[in-house]
Amino acid sequence: MINLQDIRDTARDMLAKGEVRAVIGYRRGSRGMLAEPAFITDPAQADELVWDPTCFHNLSLYLVEDRKFLAHLRKTANAPIAIVAKGCDARSIVVLMQEHYFKREDVYIIGVSCEGSGVVDERKLAPRLNGIQATNAAFDGDDFVFTTAEGEKRIPACEVMADRCLECRNPFPKEHNLAFGEDKTGRKLAEPFAALTRFEAQGAGQRWDSWSRHFDRCIRCFACRSVCPMCYCDECVVDSITFPVTAETTADEKANRIKWIERSATRSENITYLMTRAMHLAGRCTDCGECERACPVNVPIRMLNNKMEREAREKFGFEPGASIGGPSLVATFLDTDPGDFIR
Amino acid sequence: MSEQQPYEPRIVAFLCKWCSSAGSDLAGVSRIQYPANATPITIPCTGAVSPMYILSAFNKGADGVLVSGCHIGDCHYIEGNYLARRKMHLTMELLKFIGVEQNRFRMSWVSAAEGAKFAQVVTDFVNDLRPLGPQDKLKKAVRT
Amino acid sequence: MTKKRTGVFVCHCGTNIAATVDVAKVAKEMAGEDTVAFTQEYVYMCSEPGQESVVQAIKDNKLDSVVVTCCSPNLHEKTFRDNAKRAGINNFTCEIANIREQCSWVHNDKAKGTEKAIKISRSVVRRVNRNQPLDSIAVNVTRRAMVIGGGIAGIQAALDIANAGVEVVLVEKQATLGGRMLQLSETFPTLDCSQCVLSPKMVEVNRHPNIKLHTYSDVQELAGSVGNFRVKINKRPTFVDPDKCKICDHCTVVCPVVVPNEYELNLTARRAIYIPYAQAIPASFTLDEEACLGLNPIVCGKCKDVCEPDAINYDMRPETVTEDVGAIVVATGFDLYDQANMPELGGGQIEDVLDGLQFERLCSASGATKGHVLRPSDHTEPKNVVFIQCVGSRDPAKHCAYCSKICCMYTAKHAQLYKHHVPDGRAYVFYIDIRSGGKGYEEFVQRTMEDDDTLYLRGRVSKLYRHNGKVRVMGTDTLTGQNVEIDADMVVLALAMVPSKGTAEIAKTLKVGRDNDGFMAEAHPKLKPVESVTGGIFLAGAAQAPKDIPETVAQAGAAAAKVIALLSQTTLNRPPLIAKVRRSHCTGCGMCVEACPFIAIRLEGGKAVVNEALCEGCGSCSATCLRAAIDVKNVTQLQIHEMIEACLA
Repeated sequence: MINLQDIRDTARDMLAKGEVRAVIGYRRGSRGMLAEPAFITDPAQADELVWDPTCFHNLSLYLVEDRKFLAHLRKTANAPIAIVAKGCDARSIVVLMQEHYFKREDVYIIGVSCEGSGVVDERKLAPRLNGIQATNAAFDGDDFVFTTAEGEKRIPACEVMADRCLECRNPFPKEHNLAFGEDKTGRKLAEPFAALTRFEAQGAGQRWDSWSRHFDRCIRCFACRSVCPMCYCDECVVDSITFPVTAETTADEKANRIKWIERSATRSENITYLMTRAMHLAGRCTDCGECERACPVNVPIRMLNNKMEREAREKFGFEPGASIGGPSLVATFLDTDPGDFIR
Repeated sequence: MSEQQPYEPRIVAFLCKWCSSAGSDLAGVSRIQYPANATPITIPCTGAVSPMYILSAFNKGADGVLVSGCHIGDCHYIEGNYLARRKMHLTMELLKFIGVEQNRFRMSWVSAAEGAKFAQVVTDFVNDLRPLGPQDKLKKAVRT
Repeated sequence: MTKKRTGVFVCHCGTNIAATVDVAKVAKEMAGEDTVAFTQEYVYMCSEPGQESVVQAIKDNKLDSVVVTCCSPNLHEKTFRDNAKRAGINNFTCEIANIREQCSWVHNDKAKGTEKAIKISRSVVRRVNRNQPLDSIAVNVTRRAMVIGGGIAGIQAALDIANAGVEVVLVEKQATLGGRMLQLSETFPTLDCSQCVLSPKMVEVNRHPNIKLHTYSDVQELAGSVGNFRVKINKRPTFVDPDKCKICDHCTVVCPVVVPNEYELNLTARRAIYIPYAQAIPASFTLDEEACLGLNPIVCGKCKDVCEPDAINYDMRPETVTEDVGAIVVATGFDLYDQANMPELGGGQIEDVLDGLQFERLCSASGATKGHVLRPSDHTEPKNVVFIQCVGSRDPAKHCAYCSKICCMYTAKHAQLYKHHVPDGRAYVFYIDIRSGGKGYEEFVQRTMEDDDTLYLRGRVSKLYRHNGKVRVMGTDTLTGQNVEIDADMVVLALAMVPSKGTAEIAKTLKVGRDNDGFMAEAHPKLKPVESVTGGIFLAGAAQAPKDIPETVAQAGAAAAKVIALLSQTTLNRPPLIAKVRRSHCTGCGMCVEACPFIAIRLEGGKAVVNEALCEGCGSCSATCLRAAIDVKNVTQLQIHEMIEACLA
């Protein structure tokens, strides 16, 4: 069980000593029980930090934002930045380092283990609270405890936990400078890829029926892309509107943009966008689930990424974000890669 | 076009320059007849085939996409086809996952000496595509 | 970007294209393309008048790009690119649309063929729209060669290259030069002593001012390409300084460790410190690190104590040597097929069942028995010896599909040698066919049968087993239809030749392909038999396919000639179709660096940078990059995108 005060003390101490220029963590938000990302630079703010089942956000996104901001200002960092990271978040940080987005010494990882638990899925929780808003959520052993206007409500964590947390076997941030909580690597609350397996068991026709409905719904708001730490490209290959024009940009480059898809939110273009995103996240997505959570129209985006992750693990023995020096999925191969689909 | 014309699947075939394109040349030299449905695009190596090419071809209305290159161990660039094998596997699995018929994407190893095999690969592909009818899942809707 | 002025030249190829493709329609369709300023059809575009008309049209119409729709680019791409150059425009703005091999010859239906020809042509026109004028890349050539493998193939190649005045680095895995040939007793068809013909060449290599020798060394890493390779070699420690060693042999007398002698095919034993052969080059002892009690004077140290010239140094460590060369000859030789794969023949476990190389050592004057043919089990002279051919060869179902080529001849030689050693002995040979093509070869086999009275039995052996102190051979004589049982004193198996151990690894390191049987693959079975698929790397000897000594020496000479020709140039022209980074899009993630098979990309200041001398233009980087930030020139993602569009229009 993590003692929140330890996280706060660490943050305060490091900021006070000037060892880090900021701490990225979670604090109580303004919307009910939900935590929100916090960017703390003043030691006095350290006591605002929280750690509870609503700390969904993959904060490594803000490491990316920080880098982009520094680059924009043409500044270099004078000190590392500390970040509170769950197991999946820490793996994202590892992938970012694999891709040389920043160096190990640029971040101070305050690892938090989800231990035998995970984050709450609001969609699972809502019916359990009968529509009543909770004002606080807390870990308590195998349960989540929610504070509501009608008093405390205790629910077994597994019943309202996000699928990805149930399926997660690596709740401990292996890469860390400091870690709180027990290392429960290998735990099994549910079969890995359980939700995916259930979905895949349907026939191709049924799969298409549900995907076509999902794709029809997509409004191409790009929330999935915006919330994803791995979608750090300045220009998305399928959305050339974000084309970065710099002093180096030549007229030819401007003219030679590839328009892989249309911007209109039609089914075919939505499919191509989401499939491209899944391909580009293959071997990089650490299943933090933020894309799906951020989607305003409930497209099960995680399922696409999950599918790629399972293929990578089962066919290529690949684990995303396993180590900083590790290989990238699509830039490497093994002699034993399956080839029986080739004629 | 008249309505009676039978459905002809449209295939984009990415052929590596060293093996499969040369293999298709050999099919030509040997005058082995096969259906005219596949339009070849010669690329240096299957390793150069981005998954975007596959998705884009379907998006632009291809009924089937073929990627063909050198047998494992024979790549002119030594490792390109190994990289392709992994990438194309992932692409194919993703297509299958969303419900695109498995037979719409095909990969083959055809060496420069396998003219007959190239003709067979295309023939089989066309035959497998015919019963599926036009691909409209990823195809861009054209406003009329 | 100003709009291109492309000329499209549609060839009829007599009726080769025109019979099944409506060439006029292709030309008319292409004329409708936005960038096409000129179209023309002609009966034979590659003929002298055809070519002239292309040059004239480029000049007259101020064309800047050319598409010739004709046969395969393998045939006339160079022809028309040269014409483009002749007409004063860049040759890399000319592309071929293949509407013959890939269209007119394979589709009889004229309507469908024409439709496909139009798609192909249109896609190439779209590609050319975005072709950049490029210049070939000139690279300097390193006038130095490497030969990998110090058997007869490697020795011959090294000597031939060195004698042409080119410096050669010769790398040998074993502690001595000589390879398999050094293990042979006599050679067919002349029965001249193998060591007698080989030793002088080994000495010549050692003394040659142009040859640098690395024995007990492995090639570890290869970078670069034709003209400029950089090879990393791992020199294993021998713990003996060859310059000081006087080969006095005092060390082996005191060494307490006895291990099987692999140079004698385990027929004898050696000490942990040893010299493979009396004739070894370099003439120096080697201390086998694995066998030694610990390279530690406290544990043993006996050899060091008795070494008068103080040549032994326990502190030697592996050393990495880097050599820059312009060309490489691979001559890594062969091994015998593993007997363990043939349980019916004892799987290598039956005493007095030998392989061909072991029999060579038995016959050799320098071998275990000083040239007396004695069977290993009891050191008696065998009176009945059965030789079995095609063991593991020509058996696609279970073993190697190919013919190992030399076994008929060396079995005949073995039978002769045996009969010369044991005139009252009986030699039997089981064979499938006798393949004795070669100068003096058939006569040699006939001598074995007639003069040396060897009994040739056409058929296979089904089983070998130990019986009453002998080896029972159960076989069939297919000419009489009888089963044959022989109680042999000794059996010699002519095992298939397989690529030497480590061939797969070295092929991967050198990035040369292998064939289905695991031998190094030649670039073309007829026209490029000594070239590997990788430019600047040549093949010699049994690494490429089973072959005998004269063939090996001939191929080594041919490889040497190719190397000398290559290195006689001061610069090489490389095609400029290589990768180019769009810096504005590159985030420096390094995936292209990882994907590149040629180690041609590095990160510099957070961006990918392509080494133009190393890039081969395969495009693996481009397909891997998530941001389309790296492209192969003139085969860019944008161009492919537009080609896809044209194919589906």
